[in-house]
Amino acid sequence: MDLYVQVLVSGLLLGGVYALISIGLNLIFGVVRIINFAHGEMVMLSMYLTFWLNHLYGLDPYLSVIIVLPVMFVFGVMFQRLVVQPILTTSATMKIFTTVGISLLLQNLALIFWKGDFRTVRTSYSMSSLEVLDIIISVPRLVAFGTALLSIIILYAFLKYTYVGKALRAIVEDHSVARLMGVGVEKHYWFAFGLGTMFTALGGVLLVPFSSVYPTVGVPFTLLAFVVVVLGGLGSMSGTFLAGLFIGCVESFGGTFVSPGLKEAIYFAIFILVLLVRPQGLFGKGKGTEEVGLK
Amino acid sequence: MTKNKLYIIGAFVFLVLLIIPLFYESTFVLHMYTLIFFYTALTAAWNIPAFGGQLSLGHASFFGIGAYTAAILYVNYGVSPWIGIVAAAAAAMVGGLVLSLPLIRLRGPFFTLASIAFAEVLRMIAIDWRSLTNGSVGINIPFKPSLMNLTFQSGMPFYYISLALAVGVVYLTYRIRSSALGFHLRAAASDDEAAKALGVNTTLTHFIALMWSSGITGVLGLFYVFYIYVLEPQTFFSLDLFSLQPALNGIIGGMGTVWGPVIGAILMTPLGEFLRFYLGTIQQGLNFVVYGLVLVLTVRFIPGGIVSLLTPMIKRKKAKKTANLPKETEVA
Repeated sequence: MDLYVQVLVSGLLLGGVYALISIGLNLIFGVVRIINFAHGEMVMLSMYLTFWLNHLYGLDPYLSVIIVLPVMFVFGVMFQRLVVQPILTTSATMKIFTTVGISLLLQNLALIFWKGDFRTVRTSYSMSSLEVLDIIISVPRLVAFGTALLSIIILYAFLKYTYVGKALRAIVEDHSVARLMGVGVEKHYWFAFGLGTMFTALGGVLLVPFSSVYPTVGVPFTLLAFVVVVLGGLGSMSGTFLAGLFIGCVESFGGTFVSPGLKEAIYFAIFILVLLVRPQGLFGKGKGTEEVGLK
Repeated sequence: MTKNKLYIIGAFVFLVLLIIPLFYESTFVLHMYTLIFFYTALTAAWNIPAFGGQLSLGHASFFGIGAYTAAILYVNYGVSPWIGIVAAAAAAMVGGLVLSLPLIRLRGPFFTLASIAFAEVLRMIAIDWRSLTNGSVGINIPFKPSLMNLTFQSGMPFYYISLALAVGVVYLTYRIRSSALGFHLRAAASDDEAAKALGVNTTLTHFIALMWSSGITGVLGLFYVFYIYVLEPQTFFSLDLFSLQPALNGIIGGMGTVWGPVIGAILMTPLGEFLRFYLGTIQQGLNFVVYGLVLVLTVRFIPGGIVSLLTPMIKRKKAKKTANLPKETEVA
């Protein structure tokens, strides 16, 4: 029994970070309507940034958010302006190939500049853990989960109560109606991209204390984030959050009870299954999905 | 007139390709040509669903399924690879069937995502299912040279086999493109709803295209494993080598055209090998940086691929009734 609870807890904790990374994608994908195959590379870049800030200046990973988040926000905006904007009106194929190309480029630039070594940040709390009712909880994972939860709540409030947030939600739901209601759809693209990248980057930073950094670290996150977004439903923050937790648990249970090598295979299988049965997602509003190839 | 000239030049190039191995001792040159032919066939097979606008980034799955099926049958049960061809094609088509299930509901980018996920799942299964696939270590094809075993002393037979595969697959895609299936695919690619309104069952059309494509890719996987003797999941289910590469060739040559894959494979295979062996040894990863740049720039500036640059040239020349066609269009 304890084993199950233990596995469940570690799955949920990991799922929080997955949810955060996926919420970044949901925002970008929902507003700008682009399948960004370089999404995982945003995680990779923010992890490297955190690593180098720690390695060169001794900055604590958690403190480094004050530098990493603004930098990644600007990176996201630049990415939207320079890469995404010119291809917005082209076919889906062109968008896929451009972002796949960027993903290859970023991965291998990282390999060239920072080598293929697995790098880790050692902190005083990396190995520390709490014991609650015989359940062992790793402190950095708990912090990651807590921060993820908090930032998702902040984002939720932002989307719910501010003017820009409402505009973004309107765009996610229906581009043309949002435009008819006087929302400058294109004007919000860069902001959505920056914001989405920033939340994704925060996910990356939170991973640093308990996982290694290497050039291809982001690759699984691209697919993972799409799995979570599709499962949770396009435009649904709470859906994405729950789906993130679910995928975290699937990975945790699959890795423990089936085979560590197959944990990713299991959620990819779930992904294909969900696409097949309910492509608008479990919690999705189902609107705007036609446009991106879901029907 | 022009058409006859094209045939003559085509036949000439084919003859030159036939006698090349007689003059070159170097195994490297033969290997390079063999690889170009393999990739031509692979890209042409990848291109069949692309006629219908479906972009797969998971063809490594069919390639790997075909290779594993044939190798397991041969190594464990002594089934000749020539019989294995049928099994490899059938198994890869079953893979295609599984991947085409989401197709019923999905279009465009989500099909691409599903195809990547599919290949990744298969790679993980191949690593994990040690009793069948021998895990990451993989399967070695024993060196017992004979025609029945598809194993040869020299590289020359595979030069001809791969040449035949390239010509065969390209010819097949040419036939498919000008068949009813081809017209349905192109109609579905340009406007799915309109094609449906005119009575084209677009889902079935995409499905048939994927069946052709996966079956051929499976057979190519079989020939490739008997060419290199070693089968392991990281190579045969590799996203870079057999999913991205054919797609890259296709997009650079011209997706959804007959000659695009040929041009793409002829240009990109030597470039890829060069980058891997020269730049790759100077600085690991540099070859992929070049790839990424080529990809982004091609899509940005020549979205129709190289074929789209050549087509107006040919048309112009035809209009002028000059017979001097640009050489690149007739290769192979």
